[in-house]
Amino acid sequence: MRNYENLPSSFGRGGEGGLELAGIIRDDRRYGSHSNPLSKTEGAVFSISKHVLLPIVAWLCIAPTFSAADNVDAKLQAALAEAVERIAPAVVQIETLGGLERVEGNLLGAGPTTGLAVDPRGYIISSAFNFASRPASILVRLPDGERKPAELVATDHARMLVLLKIETDKPLPVGRPVPREEMRVGQWAIAVGRTFQLDRPNMAVGVLSALDRIDGRAIQTDAAVSPNNYGGPLIDLHGRVLGVLVPLSPRASGQMAGAEWYDSGIGFAIPAVDVGRALPRLINGEDLHPGLAGIGLQGPNPYTSPPIIASCLPKCPATAAGLKPGDKIVEIDGRPIARAAEVKTELGRKYAGDKLSVAALRDGRRIETEMQLAAKLEPFQHGFLGILPMRSAEDGVAVRYVYPESPAAAAGIEPGDTIHSLDGEPIADRDKLMKKIGLLEPGVEVLLGVRHGATEREAKAVLASLPTEPPPDGLPPAGVAQSPPVGTEKDGLQVGSVELKNAEFPNEAWAYVPKGYRPEAPCGVAIWLHAPGGYEWSELLARWKPLCDRWNLILLAPKSADPARWTPDETDLVDRLLDQIGSSYKIDPARIVVHGYKGGGSMAFLTAMNNREMIRGVAAVEAIMMGRPPHNEPLRRLAVYLARADKSPLARPIEQIAGVLQKMKYPVTMKGLGETPRYLNDEELAELVRWIDALDRI
Amino acid sequence: MLAFSLFAAPALAADTFEQTHPKVVKIYGAGGFSGMESYQSGIVISPDGYILTVFSYVLDTDYVTVGLSDGRELDARLIGADPRLEVAVLKIEAEGLPCFDLSKAVKLTAGSRVLAFSNLFGVALGDEPVSMQKGTVSIVTKLAARRGVFETPYRGPVYVIDAITNNPGAAGGALVDTDGCLAGILGKELHNSLNHTWLNYALPVEEIRKSVEEIEEGKFVAERDPEEARKPQRSLDPAALGIVLVPDVLERTPPYVDRVLPSSPAEKAGLQPDDLIILVGDRLIQSRRELVEEMEFVDYADPIELTVIRGRNLLKFTLQSTAGRDPTRGTQP
Repeated sequence: MRNYENLPSSFGRGGEGGLELAGIIRDDRRYGSHSNPLSKTEGAVFSISKHVLLPIVAWLCIAPTFSAADNVDAKLQAALAEAVERIAPAVVQIETLGGLERVEGNLLGAGPTTGLAVDPRGYIISSAFNFASRPASILVRLPDGERKPAELVATDHARMLVLLKIETDKPLPVGRPVPREEMRVGQWAIAVGRTFQLDRPNMAVGVLSALDRIDGRAIQTDAAVSPNNYGGPLIDLHGRVLGVLVPLSPRASGQMAGAEWYDSGIGFAIPAVDVGRALPRLINGEDLHPGLAGIGLQGPNPYTSPPIIASCLPKCPATAAGLKPGDKIVEIDGRPIARAAEVKTELGRKYAGDKLSVAALRDGRRIETEMQLAAKLEPFQHGFLGILPMRSAEDGVAVRYVYPESPAAAAGIEPGDTIHSLDGEPIADRDKLMKKIGLLEPGVEVLLGVRHGATEREAKAVLASLPTEPPPDGLPPAGVAQSPPVGTEKDGLQVGSVELKNAEFPNEAWAYVPKGYRPEAPCGVAIWLHAPGGYEWSELLARWKPLCDRWNLILLAPKSADPARWTPDETDLVDRLLDQIGSSYKIDPARIVVHGYKGGGSMAFLTAMNNREMIRGVAAVEAIMMGRPPHNEPLRRLAVYLARADKSPLARPIEQIAGVLQKMKYPVTMKGLGETPRYLNDEELAELVRWIDALDRI
Repeated sequence: MLAFSLFAAPALAADTFEQTHPKVVKIYGAGGFSGMESYQSGIVISPDGYILTVFSYVLDTDYVTVGLSDGRELDARLIGADPRLEVAVLKIEAEGLPCFDLSKAVKLTAGSRVLAFSNLFGVALGDEPVSMQKGTVSIVTKLAARRGVFETPYRGPVYVIDAITNNPGAAGGALVDTDGCLAGILGKELHNSLNHTWLNYALPVEEIRKSVEEIEEGKFVAERDPEEARKPQRSLDPAALGIVLVPDVLERTPPYVDRVLPSSPAEKAGLQPDDLIILVGDRLIQSRRELVEEMEFVDYADPIELTVIRGRNLLKFTLQSTAGRDPTRGTQP
């Protein structure tokens, strides 16, 4: 017998399950003690004085983990087993026949998976992961061993669930959901599957780790969640259903996303109450999709930026509801909104077809409106006037070049003219004109104020779509009034070859800053991502130096940590290096391009898709795209350049990628490299650099 | 009263650790290249130095050493092994060692809270105690009887654990209950080819005790492997039953019946085109290839039970080829 007075008075650190254990003491008092796994502790706990009660309850946090001889652990064990026992009749095994062996490069298992009965009439919910193979036939095995052919009724693409239906004479036992307000982080959570054996469920024990994960769609647990229980329930100690286990990822979507985290202590479940809410629509055979509003919000960081609308697609629920760029969202469905991220969470909970009521401030005036969220948005296509601008900060936009047969050409605009207004609004500089035109689609008519020498006139133009071919060689430079270039000594700013270091990454990285660098003429940036094997800086420099000097372009060339391959987290390295360059040198936000060969090209796609904020072009040679491209956005133009050889094994996939991107209305430049796969020759590289230089086309 | 035992528990947990870790040893042997670690774990099963561990390549050398919790590193001799259970017994020269008593091992059930002791990843060096992990028994189950699911000859029951216990170097470690009573030994790393996950599990002591005692006594005779279902000399195939399946064009072509030959056993039994064959006996058939493979285990002369999906119904048929009248098989009395 030990003297408890020797113990520290406070156990600040709670282990697993403490709250819930305290909870069952509470709850079972309410339910009576017949099924109370801890009923014997009750009297003892509550008979001692109040001020020691706290440490005891706190101690219970630790007890289940280690406690040995005392019977708390035995009781807990019994409680866990009993909870599983209670839900077991509703947990079914699922078998699939036929189907694919691989999806998204992942080998799929053919083993049994789990489902949860949610409606006595024969409806069973499961994880979409279990059907990624698109099986020809699905069988449900009830706990009594009976096999039933099942029909896939509907899929919830927002929460990655699938609803199955079997014919049954006897009503299926179904689980009882835990109301949202009763869920507590720290309570016991048991993940239940039926994959190892038909007659017995398998269980994994943990706690509820978090609520409102993945844009408010999921709860999180540290219980082992894997293909052994995807589709099964996450239950509390009463055997009630907290949620349905699914793989999910905050960074990716799709059937396989998040499966790489199996058994890691990071597992997700869709709250049972949300499943219940979606059930009537799923039973009706309705596939559910994430609800889209069609707005882009301001600012690079949604967790700090205010919820101000930066762009609205021309045809989207938000535009139809009368919202406009500049509106500041203050309320959604009656809940106050302060940050951009909260808008995402509110949308995350919704399905396509759901109504969303929004209150916003416009010029200090409150407007209230309602929209119906869409499953698909009409892809946005950028309008094009047909000019290359001078990069000078004068009053208006001086025209550097007019694309032949473009709307600008038809309107009689000539190089040397200045565009000083659009639709009656004065235009101060290139960025303003680019932004204004960027919100408009092809076919829209605009009215331009044009200055030609001493004469001013108005010209109408109907916007076309962005060109994919670079302008011919021999254009005048886009530079500004000459001032002496900064030398190495001035401001300590280095030009020429610069070695870059980043504290967080061990990677080697080099940059070349053009010899004639001047802060008043911001440089474009070409980020070179090498093919497997790395690169030799002197060789790379020899090819790029004259191009950089001529086109006012900074070359940025990191090396992958493992020379043989890039890893996805190295996209952060690229972002970091870009920030570094941007903080030392003036860079032109309209001309930042990631360019890569082979694996480096795939990495270029990944970098561009991850950093839509900064990257305006991706140029990939003999490389395929990783991941799904996001929607084309008005204020985040992205141009794509794809080069491949006829006999490249990647030729077909690259052409398919081009097709997908074109359908999404991205401007795609396709380049043939002849028969055999190779990198660009000097002429092609020079053309690519001209393509980069022309990215500020308007 | 109970409050006292509650408070006492953390110290008892510490007791469990203190009393258990000296019974778990580090074993060093062959390996150390291409992802094959040269170490594993083991448990002391007698005061005079018998050590139980898993039978693996690590023991495939004359220089196996055992690291005790007091820091001693002793040469070990391989007494014997049961290749079917993949367990081995080593002997070191020592006396008065703290040890587990196999005859006092406990049985676990799903939900049992357990502790695993092993030298996973070789973290513990010298006299450092091995690592302790906590978890719960997920299920007590037999390793899937299906061919090729797990690459191990063992087919008996295992304790599946919901913690990542079976890491490199962990095999041979102890699985104990929260009182420190031995329940099983951690097995080798196993990949579940049914769903491409890694399995965390332990072999129950009761499954291995008899073999271990026989090895200790020098009486062990390796049992013959339980016979894997053997293919008959002349196997059945769909054609012999008059079943023409859809062409095998996909990775997992579903085994749909394309045609049924007139007056064949299939037709007589009532099979129809578009029936989807899902079971042979009670074995699930997930592709055309699997069906053909499964039939190779059925004797040409034997009846076969096929379950099909037709529309929304499951229908069961018993078919028998005309083998009984096959002159090449001789006449029946």
